Order: sequence, then structure tokens, then C-alpha cells
Amino acid sequence: MKKRLLAALVASATVLSFAGCSSNTTSTSNTNSSAPADNSSVADNSSVADDSSVADDSSVADDSSAAADDTTDISKAGTGITLSESEGKVFNIYAWNEEFKGFFEKYYTVPEGVTVNWIINPSDDGVYQDKLDEALLNQASAAADDKVDMFLAEADYIVKYTNSDYTLDVSTIGVKQLDTEYQYTVSAASDNNGAIKGVSFQCCPAALIYRRSIAKEVLGTDDPAEVQAQLDNWDKFTEVAQKAKDSGYYMTGSYVETFRTFSNNTTSAWVDADNNLVIDDAIKQYIAQAKDFLDKEYTLPCGVWDDQKTAEMYKDGKVMCFFGPAWYYNFSMSNAQDPEKGCSGDWAICQGPQAYFWGGTWLLAATGTDNPEMVADIMNAFTANEDICSKLIENEGQFTNNMAVNQKYADDPTFGNAFLGGQNDTAIYVELAKNIKFENKTQYDQLLNEKLPDVFLDYFKGNISEEDAYKNFYQYVNEKYPAIVTP
Amino acid sequence: MSTQKRKSVSYSKWGYIFIIPFFVVYIFCSLIPLFSTFYNSFFENYRDGLTQIGPNFVGFENYIKLFTPNSSGNILILDYTANTMIMWLLGAIPQLIFSLLLAIIFTSARLKIKGQQFFKTVIYMPNLVMASAFAMLFFTLFSNVGPVNQLINAMGGETVDFFGNVWTARGIIAFINFLMWFGNTTILLMAGIMGIDQSLFEAASIDGANSVQVFFKITLPLLMPILVYVIITSLIGGLQMFDVPQIITAGIGKPNRSTMTLIMYLNNYLSTSKNYGMSGAISVVVFIITGILSMFVYKTMVKGDDSGKKKAKKLAAKGVK
Repeated sequence: MKKRLLAALVASATVLSFAGCSSNTTSTSNTNSSAPADNSSVADNSSVADDSSVADDSSVADDSSAAADDTTDISKAGTGITLSESEGKVFNIYAWNEEFKGFFEKYYTVPEGVTVNWIINPSDDGVYQDKLDEALLNQASAAADDKVDMFLAEADYIVKYTNSDYTLDVSTIGVKQLDTEYQYTVSAASDNNGAIKGVSFQCCPAALIYRRSIAKEVLGTDDPAEVQAQLDNWDKFTEVAQKAKDSGYYMTGSYVETFRTFSNNTTSAWVDADNNLVIDDAIKQYIAQAKDFLDKEYTLPCGVWDDQKTAEMYKDGKVMCFFGPAWYYNFSMSNAQDPEKGCSGDWAICQGPQAYFWGGTWLLAATGTDNPEMVADIMNAFTANEDICSKLIENEGQFTNNMAVNQKYADDPTFGNAFLGGQNDTAIYVELAKNIKFENKTQYDQLLNEKLPDVFLDYFKGNISEEDAYKNFYQYVNEKYPAIVTP
Repeated sequence: MSTQKRKSVSYSKWGYIFIIPFFVVYIFCSLIPLFSTFYNSFFENYRDGLTQIGPNFVGFENYIKLFTPNSSGNILILDYTANTMIMWLLGAIPQLIFSLLLAIIFTSARLKIKGQQFFKTVIYMPNLVMASAFAMLFFTLFSNVGPVNQLINAMGGETVDFFGNVWTARGIIAFINFLMWFGNTTILLMAGIMGIDQSLFEAASIDGANSVQVFFKITLPLLMPILVYVIITSLIGGLQMFDVPQIITAGIGKPNRSTMTLIMYLNNYLSTSKNYGMSGAISVVVFIITGILSMFVYKTMVKGDDSGKKKAKKLAAKGVK
């Protein structure tokens, strides 16, 4: 009997060891530029088989010659530099999705003998940041080939890295400082002393993306200028939402859809100088709007990335407006681009009620990298190399961080995006990009921005009072960030 | 002489040698982490972005913080204990009844069910699926546009917001746990029932006992030790409930934190800011709760068994064999 009692206690003691567990969702894949002799570190080459240019191991082996051919072809336009002896043979890039990886593999020629290692963790719930932080904190003791060489960061948390010693001043490794870069992308990548820690390969002014056919029915026109005139402020936007509802449509597909427009136009940061949590008036405005929109059924009770919302992008979808920058319809609207069920060409963009930007991918150099030359080469390739930038616009529908190239396409009367029914989106973004300011950012932004709407959903649905929703949000902040003081 | 010496040779040292590996692993993987958790809970120790704060010794401050009522007068850790227990009970009670029933059916000498191996495999199957996969599956099934709601709509009903309503959300989580674990419980209980001497059942049937009487007079009392084991392990597993609610509610215990479990609470402290102090304190509280509840279950259920043992001991003391 004593023994059994002991067994029960021992079993309950294992509760505590739970704390040590952590799930590991890291996915790693490798890309080879040639067949390096020291291939032992390469885990699995077949993982790149999804890339059309790299079919299998055997084609990887003679990739260097293929790459040489490709430079004359359209697909490869990288620089293909020869690195000095001191450079490492393994290049580790941390990222949270496949977007940049796709462009990198298509347009950048990896120097001979270097293996590129992508460590991709999803950004949901801050997982990407957690994994990246862990790697950076261990950077000093990691073996040269295991060190983070370059990592990607998003507008929501880039300040955490730029203002730390874990990122390199890239002017010291030969990254060209260009006048053609948008000023906000440069200030976002600068630390408090003005040292520039990285570059962005895209500029992300965001727009209102609407369905032409639905706009015609609701507003009587699908012309971007006329649509814009009918919803250029929030009052008009709400009026149009009522009209859309009367015609049997939803104004937006998610109660979080407009959140970034508000959170991007706040007058204060999430936390003040004394680390007190601040709920800005713009955020309060969002809360009021989301409640109103859900009550009146102008929108759906689902999150920005929910399947229910993206299903509305199909031809038979009932949602008129989506909010996002160029990357949004390239990367997150695949349902709309579906050849059978989608409705490519039935879309257009205009500025919408309020100017804002959302996201953006910055490339940052990690302190301690053993591949500084290659880091600099990649950064230069995706900002200064006009060939690559042109391809990003033409083939990928991107809005690049090179004003000269953007302007060229904006001025080209024959240029248009087929997805947007031939509309020249670059011309619109050139105008919108002038309004972007990078301000009021903190290192806590990602989770605060993503979870506030999530936590408030109970209130929006009418299950709890607004006061209780605030309490739940404060509690969430307390748990996640002990350093923030909540009311 | 020599034969006498041999008689006193003890082989018990081999017993000790054979259990060394277990104790080494146990000490390093369980006991030391256990004590380090206690130790950590007395420190302020977390990360603010890339900056490490602490560890600074703060005494019982983490515990005080845990048990300080919030502005609405609720002590959150008690609320989350209640959530966890409710969701455990919602799953464990039906699970025990159902498993007991299945175990009796499968072991019944009268019924002699065919294809037992097949059924045993099938009911155990859900346990092999990852909890997170299960959670995702049910999340999709019961979402507002999922198959279940489509069915309800097709039958003329209104869309039910399963994950927006406290009791449906808790119910679904409990149901997933039920589905995952009833096979395991059934197999344990079957082993228990098969361990009971068949002659008792035969004697009972000769005496004219019906199945209900056999169950309450023979099966249940003799199954008690296994039942206690099953309940206590289930309780411990229930208190550690994490993956299913975490995934279904995106880590915030939707709706209104009513599905927030103790370990989700712990995970929130631990995952982003590596707050070892607070999560250590929560772990210790979970440890104490688990200990108390296990003791309670044990004490209430083993009473009868206990007296039997005492009787046996008395008899043994008297030298009666």
C-alpha cells in the first residue's frame, strides 16, 4: 500500500518535468549550388524537389553550369560572385515562411560551393521570434557552420533586433546605401544611433483590394478612382458596408480585416517610456468598428488567416473588400488565383479609407556570421540589382524597394497586373508609398497586434462586456510580457 | 559448515544492481528537475525581448502574485484549476463508464465476443493519433462552416457557434480526450477483470447471481486496485491537459478564458518570455494540487481494500496461514 502511494506521488512528480518540454516545429531544408565535397552536413536534398529548377540530386550536382546558362535566361539574374577563402560553406537563413525563399531560389545565384540552409518556423503565436531569439542568444557559442548568417524580420518586431548587438551594421560589410530605397525601410532597419542593420527587399504600402464584379453591383462602378471616391473615409466606408449588405454581400471577410489600418495610424506606441501598456485611440476606434460591423453583419466572425475567410476569395465568394499590400494578393490570395474556382482579373485596388502599411520583410545580418560577403551580396542583389527588382515586379507582382525600378513600371502605360484586371498597381503604390511612416513601434507589437482582436472576439460576439474583454487582454499581456505594466 | 554458509548467501544485491539504471535515470530526469522547479519558483527570471532579467531572489513573491485576486476579485489560478477539473470530469466520467462496460462485455465468458483482437485494436487506435491532429480535426469539423454545422443547417437548424459557447467548447475538448483515452482505459480494465479468479464468477452463476449482482458483488470490489490506478493516472493526465485546448483556442482559452487550463496558463508564461519564476511557481502549485487530489482519490476508494489488508496482517501476525 505504501508502495502504491509512492507510485502515485512519483507519477504526479512527472507533472513538473512537463515544464521542460517544448514542441519543435522547425523545418529545415537545404539548397545546394553545387555538389560540395563536405556534403555530410546536408540532411536531405530531396526536400527541395518542389523547386522546378532543382529536380533531384543529380541535377543539383551540375547546377553550376545550369546556373551559368540561366543568367542569360530570365529566371536567374543573381550575381554569382566568387567568395574569398575566409567565407563559410554553409549559409543559414532564418525565415517564417517560403515567400523570400521562393524569390531567392529563382533569382539569386548562390556562390559556388555554398550550401544554403533555410530554417523556417511559422510566425504564429510568436514562434518564429522565440526560435530566432534562441539561436541568436547561442550565436557566440555555435559552430561556424551553425551560426545564423542572415535572418528575416517583419515590421512588427524588427526594432527588437535592430536595437540589439545581435545584428551587424551592414555598411561595414559592403552593403550599398541607396537613394532609391524608401526612407521608411531604411529608418526601420536603423538602430537608435543611426547604424543601418539591414535592408528590405519590398516596400509595403497597403491598399483596399476589392472585387470588381461586386463593386459594380454595389457601387455601380468598378473604376478604382470612382470606387475610392465612394469610400475614402470611415463614415463613407460604413455607408458602403450597409449598401453591400443590402445587396447580399459582406463588406469584409474578417472582423480583423481593417485592424492594421487603425493600428498603423496610432499616435502612440503600445507601451510608453515607463513600459505602461497604452491602448491608443485608433485601437479603440477599431474595437468600436469591429463590434459594429459584426453586430450588423457587415463582416464575418473569422480571423484574417481563417479558411472561412479565404474561401470567400473564390468566384462565388460574397466578400467585397480585402485589405493588404502587394504581398497579400501574391502570397495569401491563392484561392482567388485558382484557375477553376478563383476569379483572377476580377480584382482591383485603391487606397481605401486610410493610408497604412502592413508587414514587409527585412533582411538582417546576424552578428558573428561567417559569410559577410554573401550576406552583403544578397542584400545588394535584392535592392540594387535592377534586373532582379524588375523580375520581382514583372513575374511576382511585387512592389520592390527600388524607387527607380518601381517608377519605370508605374510610368509604363502598357504595364498591368493581370490579377487586377490589367490595373497598374505599381503606379498606385508609388503614390501610397509616399505616406508611409515607420513610427510608434515596440518589440512587443506582433503578439499585441495579433491577439487583441482575438481576445476581443468574445466581446464582439456579445458574450462578455467590453470591460471584461480589456481585462482578458491585460491578463494575456501580463502572462506574455512580465515587463509591461498593465492598468 | 560450507553448506550453512551457502544458505546465507544473499542474491538480493543483484536486485539492487538491476534497479540502478532506473534510479539513475529517475534522479537525473525527474528528481533533479523537480527540485530545480521548486528552486526556480523563488526567483524573478525572465527575458524581455533579447534582454535577460534576473535571476533575482524574490522569496514567495511569485506565489503571492499567483494568489492575488485580480480586479474582479477572482484568483485566476483557482479559476483555471476549476476549468481543468471540469473538462477532465466531463471526459473522465463517461470514459470510465464506457470503458468499464466495454471491458465487461469483452471479458464476459457468457457472451464470448468474436474478433476481440480487432475491436481492441480499433478502440485503441485514437490514442495513436497525435492530440494536436485530433484537435485540428475537431476544430475543422465543428467550425462555423464545418461539416457539423452544414449538417445542422441542412436539417433546418441555426449555425451553432461551438467554440464561442463555454459549454460546447468545453464539451468538445472533453470529448476529444474521451475519444483518445477510452481505449487505453478499456484495455487496463480488461486486464484487471481477467486477473480475477474465474471460479468466483462460476460460483456466482451457480448460486444464481444475475449479471448486475456479479458486477457489483464480484467484479467491482476486486477491480478496485486497478480502478484506483486508472482514476489516478487519468486525474494526473487531466490536470496536465494542454495540447487539445491550446490548439482549439489558439492559446487564449476562448471563450472568455473558460477553457484555459493550468498548463496553458503555465505555457503562456513560459513560451515567449521564458518566465521561469512564474512558471516554476505554477508548476509547484500543480504538483501540490495533484498530490492532494491523488491522495483524496486513494483514501476514499481504497477504504474497503485497506481493512482487508489489515485483517490479513492480523492473521499473519497470529501465524495463521
